[in-house]
Amino acid sequence: MEFSDHIKTANVEDVVLRQPLHPPSRGTLCITGHHLLFSEREEGSSQQVLLLLRNIDAIEKRMSGSSGTITIKCKDLRVLQLDIPGMEQCLNISRSIETLSCLDNVSEMYPFFYRPTDLSLQDQWGLSTPEIHYTQMKELHERWRLSSVNKSYSVCPSYPPAVIVPNCIDDETLKKVAKFRQGGRFPVLCYYHRKNGMVIMRSSQPLTGANRKRCKEDELLLQAVIEDSDKGFIIDTRSSQQVQQARMTGGGFESKSFYNCWKRLHRQMERGKVLQESLIKLVEACSDESHNVDRWLSKLENSKWLSHVQTALSTAGLLAECVERDGHSALVHGYEGTDCSLLICTLAQLIMDPFCRTLEGFLALLEREWVQAGHPFQQRCAHSAYSHARFQQESPVFLLLLDCVWQLWRQFPLALGFSEALLLRLANEVYASDYGTFLCNNDQERCALGVKDRTHCLFQALLRPAERDYYSNPLYEPTELAIWPSVHPQSLQLWRGFFLRWTQLTHHLEAVQEEIRSMVIEWARVAQR
Amino acid sequence: MEFAELIKTPRVDGVVLHRPFMPTVEGTLCLTGHHLILSSRQDNTEELWLLHSNIDFIEKRFVGSVGSIIVKCKDLRVIQLDIPGMEECLNIASSIEALSTLDSVSLMYPFFYRPMFEVIEDGWNSYLPQDAFKELESMTDEWRLSKVNKDFTVCPSYPPLVAVPKNIDDDTLKKVAAFRHGGRFPVLSYYHKKNGMVMMRAGQPLTGTNGRRCKEDEKLINATLRPGKRGYIIDTRTINVAQQAKARGGGFESEGNYPQWRRIHKAIDRYNVLQESLIKLVEACNDQSHSMDRWLSKLEASSWQTHIKEILTTACLAAQCIDREGASVLVHGTEGTDSTLQVSSLAQIILDPGCRTIKGFQGLVEREWLQAGHPFQQRCAQSAYSNSKPRQEAPAFLLFLDCVWQVLRQFPCSFEFNESFLVLLFEHAYASQFGTFLGSCAADRSV
Repeated sequence: MEFSDHIKTANVEDVVLRQPLHPPSRGTLCITGHHLLFSEREEGSSQQVLLLLRNIDAIEKRMSGSSGTITIKCKDLRVLQLDIPGMEQCLNISRSIETLSCLDNVSEMYPFFYRPTDLSLQDQWGLSTPEIHYTQMKELHERWRLSSVNKSYSVCPSYPPAVIVPNCIDDETLKKVAKFRQGGRFPVLCYYHRKNGMVIMRSSQPLTGANRKRCKEDELLLQAVIEDSDKGFIIDTRSSQQVQQARMTGGGFESKSFYNCWKRLHRQMERGKVLQESLIKLVEACSDESHNVDRWLSKLENSKWLSHVQTALSTAGLLAECVERDGHSALVHGYEGTDCSLLICTLAQLIMDPFCRTLEGFLALLEREWVQAGHPFQQRCAHSAYSHARFQQESPVFLLLLDCVWQLWRQFPLALGFSEALLLRLANEVYASDYGTFLCNNDQERCALGVKDRTHCLFQALLRPAERDYYSNPLYEPTELAIWPSVHPQSLQLWRGFFLRWTQLTHHLEAVQEEIRSMVIEWARVAQR
Repeated sequence: MEFAELIKTPRVDGVVLHRPFMPTVEGTLCLTGHHLILSSRQDNTEELWLLHSNIDFIEKRFVGSVGSIIVKCKDLRVIQLDIPGMEECLNIASSIEALSTLDSVSLMYPFFYRPMFEVIEDGWNSYLPQDAFKELESMTDEWRLSKVNKDFTVCPSYPPLVAVPKNIDDDTLKKVAAFRHGGRFPVLSYYHKKNGMVMMRAGQPLTGTNGRRCKEDEKLINATLRPGKRGYIIDTRTINVAQQAKARGGGFESEGNYPQWRRIHKAIDRYNVLQESLIKLVEACNDQSHSMDRWLSKLEASSWQTHIKEILTTACLAAQCIDREGASVLVHGTEGTDSTLQVSSLAQIILDPGCRTIKGFQGLVEREWLQAGHPFQQRCAQSAYSNSKPRQEAPAFLLFLDCVWQVLRQFPCSFEFNESFLVLLFEHAYASQFGTFLGSCAADRSV
C-alpha cells in the first residue's frame, strides 16, 4: 500500500506529548497510514491517544538543538505538541504527517479501512431513502409524487436519485426545469407541514441571465406548488443588489411578471469565504491569552460569527412564519442551493416539526437535507480554522447549523430529544471521521466509490443502544408546539462547548452535565417505581 | 398623614397596564402611601403591587387625550400605564414622583409592612456576631469579641461587636480606629479552618503626607501573623491612587513600618464609574436594534464584565494567599465599604463551602455587607434608569451578586441556592417590604 511510502519513521520512543487538560506525558509515538498513536510509558499508566491524521489542520515544526517540537493544530480545535528526540526523526515524522493528513483521494481515506468488530458492512447504511420517506408520508400521495428522473444523476448531479415533485409535473417537464436552474437543482419538496398542508421547496437560482430568459416549465412547477393557495413566498438568501448582479453572470431571480403569485423576500446570508474567515477570526479570539475583557469582546464582535448565527436563525424563523403562521408554501434558494438554502430549511423544520426534534428524527433530517440533498461536505470540510492551506471551497456551513441548533437547545432545553454531546460529536465527524457518511459531495460520488458498501454509517452507529443513551436528552418532553427562537442578539451566546472545548472550564462543565444527566435519569427511574 | 397630601388623584378607572411577560390588562389604578396598585376585575389576572421605592424614573407621553406613564423600576422592569384623561395622568405622574423620592427612612414601607406569611424564624437575630464568634471560639483561642464599639462611637459604621486578636485591648483599638479611615480599624472577616489563616478588612491607614505611623495598628495586624511568616495586604487601589491618597490624609502601609507584610495592588473601580457602567449595560440590554455588532459593542463599552473580572481576580488572589500560600491577608481600599467587602465576601465563597449553603450565604451577606456597614441607603438610592444626578449611588452589591452568579455558573453543583435567590436579593436591596437593607450600617438600623 502506498501509505508506507510516506512513512520513513514509523515509531519513535521517548516522545513528550503536551495536550490540553492533561499534564505532559512521555511515551512512544507511532505513525500509521491513517493515524497518529501515542502510548504513554509512565509508571502505572497506559493512556493512549489515537488521532486520525485527517483531523489535522496544520502543523508547525520548531527545531532546537538535536530535538524538534511539532505543534499539531486539529480540525476539532485541539492543539497538541510533540517533543521528538532526534532531528531526522522529527523531520520524517512531520513530513509523514503533512502528506498523510491531506490525501486527496477519497477512497484512500480511513472510512474505507475502518473495520470495527461489532459492525458489519452488510448492516443497513443510512437511516432512510427518499423512496422510504415518501412511502411513509401518506399525506403527500394525493398531490405529490416521487420522481426517479434523476436515477442516473444525469438531470442533476448533486441531487439524490429520487425526489418529490407535484403530481401533475412529469419527468420531461422536470428535465427542462433542471436546465433552467443552476447545477440542475430544480425545485423539490423538502418539507410538508401536516397542520395546514403547506410545503417548503428548495432549489438553486433560476438562470434568467441578463436577457431575462424565462422557462414556462419552471413557472408551471411553481404554480402547481401553490395550486390550492393564493400565493407563495420565495425566500432568497441574497440581497436585492446581489440578485441583480447575479443576472450579469447568468443567474437571476423569479421576477414578478412571470411568477406573479409568488412574493419574493430577500434576506442576505453570508456563505463561502466570508464564513470561513469568520470562523478563523472566532477561533483566534478564543485562543487569545491576553486575559483582557475588552479585547475578547472586540475580537468576538469582529469575527461576526454570532451575526451569522443570528441571521441564520432569523431567516429560518421567517421561513417558518410563512408556513406555520401565514399558512403559505415557500420556495428557498440562494445561488447554488447547496449551503444557506439547506441551512434554513433544516432550522425551519426543527422549529415547526416535533418529529425532527427527536434523536432519530434529527439524524434523519440531517441525512435528507444535507447528505442526500448534496451539500458538498468534501469541499466544505477539507480544512478548518487553523489551516494555512490555500482555501478553495471550504466553508463551515454545517458547523453554523450545529451552532444554531445549539442556540435552540439552550433556549428550549426540554424541546429537543438529543443532547449537546450529539452536536459536538457531529461537529467532529464532519471534518474527520471513521465513518463514510460525510465523505464525498453528493450521492452520485458516493455511489461511484461504493461508500455504502465499503464504509460504515455514522447515523446508524449513533443510534445503537450503547451510544444513543449518551446522545439523548434526559430532560426531553415532546411537544406538538412550534418552538420560536429569540433572535435578539442578547439571547444568542457563544457555543462555548465547541469553541472553548479544550479549556478547563468547559471540561469541568461537561463533567457537571454528565452528573446532572445521571441525576435526572436516576430520578426518572425512582419516580417510575 | 403626610402621604395623603402627596396624592393628588388616588384612583383612576380604565387604566391599561403593559408589563413584561403578561398580557395587557385594563383595570383600576390606585395610589397609596407606599404602593402603586393596578387591579382588574378579570379573574385570572394578577394584580400589580409596585412599591414607590422601586421606581427609578418615570416618563410621560401623550397621544390625544390618553396619557401614558412609563415607569422604569430599580429592578429593571419597565411597565407602561395608559391613563385616560390628561389631568388624571398628570396628577398620577406628579404623585408618583413625589412618593418615590421620599428621603426619610422611617417613612419607608418596611416600617408599615405586616407580613401575611408565618414567620418561622427571627431573622433579625439569626446572624448575630456573638453566634458567629461562638463558632470561631470552638476552633481557636486567638481571638476575642470586643464591645469597644457598643455605642458606635469608635467606628460609626461598624457593628457593636467585632472580633479582634486576643492580645489587643480596647484602648489599643481606639487608637487604631483613629488611624483608619472612618474609624474602620482592622477586624476579622474570615477564619480559614484548614490552616488557621485569617482575612481581615479595614479602611485605609491615615498616614497622610507626613508618613504618620501608628504602632498600635502595626501591633494589631502583626498579631495575626505566625512567627517567621509574612502576610499580604491587598489594596484595591492602584499604587498611584494609593500614593495620591496621602495628599488627602490617607495612604497605605509602608514597607518600612510593616516589614512583615507584602502589599499587592489590585485596582477595583468604584462609585460613579460603576454606576455609569450599570447604566450603559442596561441600555445595551434594552437595545432593540437587533444588531449583533451593536450589542457586542455596547456590552464592551459598558465595561461591566471588566469590573466583574477585576473583582473576581482580586478575590481569587486573596483566597489563594490564604489557602495556597498559607498566609494571612488584610484587605482595604479607601473607605473599606465597597470593593473591600466585595473581595472579602467573594473570597469566602471561594474558600468556605458553608457560605454556599442558603443559610451560610445569608450569614455572609449579613456579616460582610449589612453589619460591615456597606452604605446601602446611599448606594441603592437609584438604579440604572434614574435621571437624577447621581450622588453616592453605585451597584457594588449587584456586582457582588453577579460575581457569585459567575462562580455559580462555573460550579453549578456547588451551591445550595440558585440564580433566583441572587435576583431576589438584588431586588430587595433596592426596594423591599422588609427592613433588612434599610439604612447604611448597624447604627442606623438600631434606631
